[in-house]
Amino acid sequence: MTRRKITQRLAMHLLLVPFLVFALFPFYHMTLTSLKQNKELYDRTAVPLLIRQGPTLEHYTKLLWDTAFLTWTKNSLLVTVLSTFVSLVIGTVAAYALARLKFFGVASLGTGIFVTYLVPTSLLFLPLAQVVNWLGLGDSKWALVVTYPTFLVPFCTWLLMGYFRTVPKEVEECAMVDGATRIQALWRIVLPITVPGLVCAALFAFTLSWNEFIYALTFTSSSEQITASVGVTSELVRGDIYYWGSLMAGAVLSSVPIVVLYVFFLDYYVSGLTAGAIK
Amino acid sequence: MAIGGIRVAAPASRPSLRAKVGELLDREQWLGSIFVSPALVLLLLLVAYPFCMALYFSVSNAFIGRPSHFIGVRNFINLWESDAFRQTFQNAFVFCGAAVGAKLVLGVSLALLLNQQLWFKRLIRGAVLLPWVIPTALSTLGWTWMFNSLYSVVNWTGLALGIMDPPGPNWLGQKYYAMAAVIIVNIWRGLPFFAITILAGLVAIPKELYEAAEADGAGPFSRFWYVTLPLLKGVLAIVVLFSTIFTFSEFNIVFVLTHGGPINSTHLFATLARQVGLETGRIGEGAAISLYLFPVLMLVVWAQLRFVRKQAY
Amino acid sequence: MSGITRRHFLTTTAGTGLAGILATGVPPVLGQQREVSYLCWNNFAPLMDKKLAEIGQRFTKDTGIKLKIDHIAAAQQAAKYASEVQSQAGHDLVEMRMHFPWLYDSQLIDLGDLVADLEKKYGKVLSSAGETARVRGTWRAVPQYHAMFVATYREDLFKKASLKIPDTWEDLYTAGKELKKMGHPVGIPISQNYDSISTAGPVLWSSGGQEVDKDGKTVRINSPQTAQMIEWYKKMFRDCMEPEVLSWDDASNNQAIQQGKAGWIHNPVSAYIVAKQMKLPTADTINHHRTPGGPAGRHETDVPRHIGIWKFSKNAEPAKEFIRYLLGKRETYDEFIMSADAFNLPVYEKLQDHPVLKTDPKYAGLKAEGVQYHCYGWPAPPSDKVQLITNSFIMPNMIAKAVTGTSTKDAMVWAENEMKKIMAG
Repeated sequence: MTRRKITQRLAMHLLLVPFLVFALFPFYHMTLTSLKQNKELYDRTAVPLLIRQGPTLEHYTKLLWDTAFLTWTKNSLLVTVLSTFVSLVIGTVAAYALARLKFFGVASLGTGIFVTYLVPTSLLFLPLAQVVNWLGLGDSKWALVVTYPTFLVPFCTWLLMGYFRTVPKEVEECAMVDGATRIQALWRIVLPITVPGLVCAALFAFTLSWNEFIYALTFTSSSEQITASVGVTSELVRGDIYYWGSLMAGAVLSSVPIVVLYVFFLDYYVSGLTAGAIK
Repeated sequence: MAIGGIRVAAPASRPSLRAKVGELLDREQWLGSIFVSPALVLLLLLVAYPFCMALYFSVSNAFIGRPSHFIGVRNFINLWESDAFRQTFQNAFVFCGAAVGAKLVLGVSLALLLNQQLWFKRLIRGAVLLPWVIPTALSTLGWTWMFNSLYSVVNWTGLALGIMDPPGPNWLGQKYYAMAAVIIVNIWRGLPFFAITILAGLVAIPKELYEAAEADGAGPFSRFWYVTLPLLKGVLAIVVLFSTIFTFSEFNIVFVLTHGGPINSTHLFATLARQVGLETGRIGEGAAISLYLFPVLMLVVWAQLRFVRKQAY
Repeated sequence: MSGITRRHFLTTTAGTGLAGILATGVPPVLGQQREVSYLCWNNFAPLMDKKLAEIGQRFTKDTGIKLKIDHIAAAQQAAKYASEVQSQAGHDLVEMRMHFPWLYDSQLIDLGDLVADLEKKYGKVLSSAGETARVRGTWRAVPQYHAMFVATYREDLFKKASLKIPDTWEDLYTAGKELKKMGHPVGIPISQNYDSISTAGPVLWSSGGQEVDKDGKTVRINSPQTAQMIEWYKKMFRDCMEPEVLSWDDASNNQAIQQGKAGWIHNPVSAYIVAKQMKLPTADTINHHRTPGGPAGRHETDVPRHIGIWKFSKNAEPAKEFIRYLLGKRETYDEFIMSADAFNLPVYEKLQDHPVLKTDPKYAGLKAEGVQYHCYGWPAPPSDKVQLITNSFIMPNMIAKAVTGTSTKDAMVWAENEMKKIMAG
């Protein structure tokens, strides 16, 4: 590497610094809050950016053992994984049909699916609660598995539609000439090519359902059924008292699994978006 | 369609059921309908029906648990006369415009940087994504803690660096600062989505185009302007579309940080709808607030989708 | 199998089809087991939730009725209740704060017989609780306990500067000026939160003003009394407080006094109790005094909490039985109240001199003689329009406008217009 190139690269890193500080500082502060002793946390004269009086795990132990955090996280995981999977399957077939097949109303269906995105959830959950109840899913995490796809499917469909369009038609036609049915061609030829797109859609869907709050709040209530964000906020915010340490411990613990997932799949993810979003 | 299918199949001597089904599935009409139907059923049952109910609410005097009557557009008219609603209306555009605009500019810059040869590439990309991954309900609480008037780490840092005068801005208590605060938090959370999606678009631009442009003597700026930007248009349109919808319906940040205050200056449609529709039980009016801009949004989305489609083919 | 509740059963059905079908085969006896569910708020005093669970277990043991208690954060109650009413399903018993019985009146069963029994035993229900739990003559909920706002001050600072304990809001201004000079300003929020209304109310009432007339229709905010109250806020904001109060949420004033900044706040006793629990150094220095008064008397904001039963409940009888079990026996009720450490006090007249007030000398200030307790919007009944006025934070916004530059008159006219629009709409 020439000297000039190294300087250039250094400059790029320097330019990135403000972005990284902006992205990471709140997380740093949350982590710090979760590790501080109450005495220091609520000391107005203390330096907020450091732990001076020794770190403590008491907020984590409170969260893990005094609340049902582990159950909530298990629920969150179950709901997220299942609803992501369901949405992915539904989204994949729908996207394939909308992108590849010619049939009645194909264009307006595509737009229609997108438009459901516009429907504000701020009040939708009231009538939806009624439907959930008809389905016999009141106060059950299965209600979430059923309702989360309503906002995941449109997203997955649109992302994957773009992706399917990038796969050359000839690839599929070749297989069909060789005697494969369309479904076989889809399963054996097209899907393997679109794996990055699927990974990408899955990650997005995973994040969206992991973050969901209002449906989880209204459709579930018992401690064995609720998800992590609902449980943490309702247990640790008591009117005019916030248990800051444990709240932030909850934020840290519930973002770790997804960060790991993202770092692991990130390359797939970037290439997945490339094809999906552009074409 | 079914008749056609049978007629074609008839000449063959008693094809097995399996083959028949297989043949039907090879027909695009059939396969298409079958493939789309799960999504359709799901959306009809769980979105269309509740949406129609919400539509009805908005033109009725619906109140939680009481019988309701149709009252036409009276909710919409009454709302327009209320100060709080007009303020909200204005806030929503300021909030959405500023946040999406900033996310777009910062997102493109960040994506350009991330597309460079970097050390610790994975780590940096992971770090950039972090804000998007922390559950919103909890990360917004983290921000309230950062803006807390007694313990504001933002002000502490600002004072320590000498860029603020003591006691520092009253973040959530002054009109413009409060709006700035909720916009900042929205940018913080939404930027990763922009950056990573745009990055994906950048990665896809063939290197040869840059090389050709460079050979023609184009500097970095004209390369960006004449090569990168035109090719990114499709991605940018989709990202802006998704983000506009999300930002417009933002709820959590405002609800947790300011509750709409001071003096309604940060209320958004979703937070006001909750205040009126749920806290006070007037679901008719609440639905009207949520749906006030639905027609406009629909037009915008329709236009943008057409634009995206044109870009795509 | 005997532990299968309806909800669990449904979950199972949805989750694993076969197991669900098998579960329908439970013997009829088990299927008929009586049970109730209770959706309770997340008590500000966590120990009271623990006590409630304990009493619930005893209830099951004594009556054979299964009880399932779910908790929800106060801020989320509205959304949750709305969805239960909309879907006509959910819990049997619900916790009802302040005006909630008015909000959901058509969905709550009449509990007059239970209240009559309790009143016979413990004396009349306090007026603030009665005004909110009894909707147009019908008891839609049974009053359980209440928490009132109280003047909370730093005793050490007052002693050091030999300040007089404020007897009127004017006195508070005099003391507040000194407090601010000492670096310990008064902390009264003026923002879109409920604590702001909880202080604005008493100040307005004690000057003789009101938002809406007793008739529940006529807007009365534009008055010389309101002007007087706004003027008081203006000088308080200028001389006794810091601009931070414009940004405060419900937790801020607690933190301000607990961390040693504020010299005087207006809040339920939670600020002190939490300081004590967290062993903060300020705990020893915080004390309470009787609510300041004004020309029109001494008024205070009260937060009564009731318990109601949804009309769609199929278990109304066992649900009533639980209310009787929890509140109807003196020993159980006392035990329940004691667990909250004076945070939540009895709402019945004969129990006002409750032993819990003697557990800490600093609770003496809670027994405030001559103070009248009201809920938001008083003297208007808490109809949905009056609630919309409250929930729209018109009063704190009027004050916020006035202290940040709008003239008193204009702020008042603005509030009057907004309130009139609500009344007309």
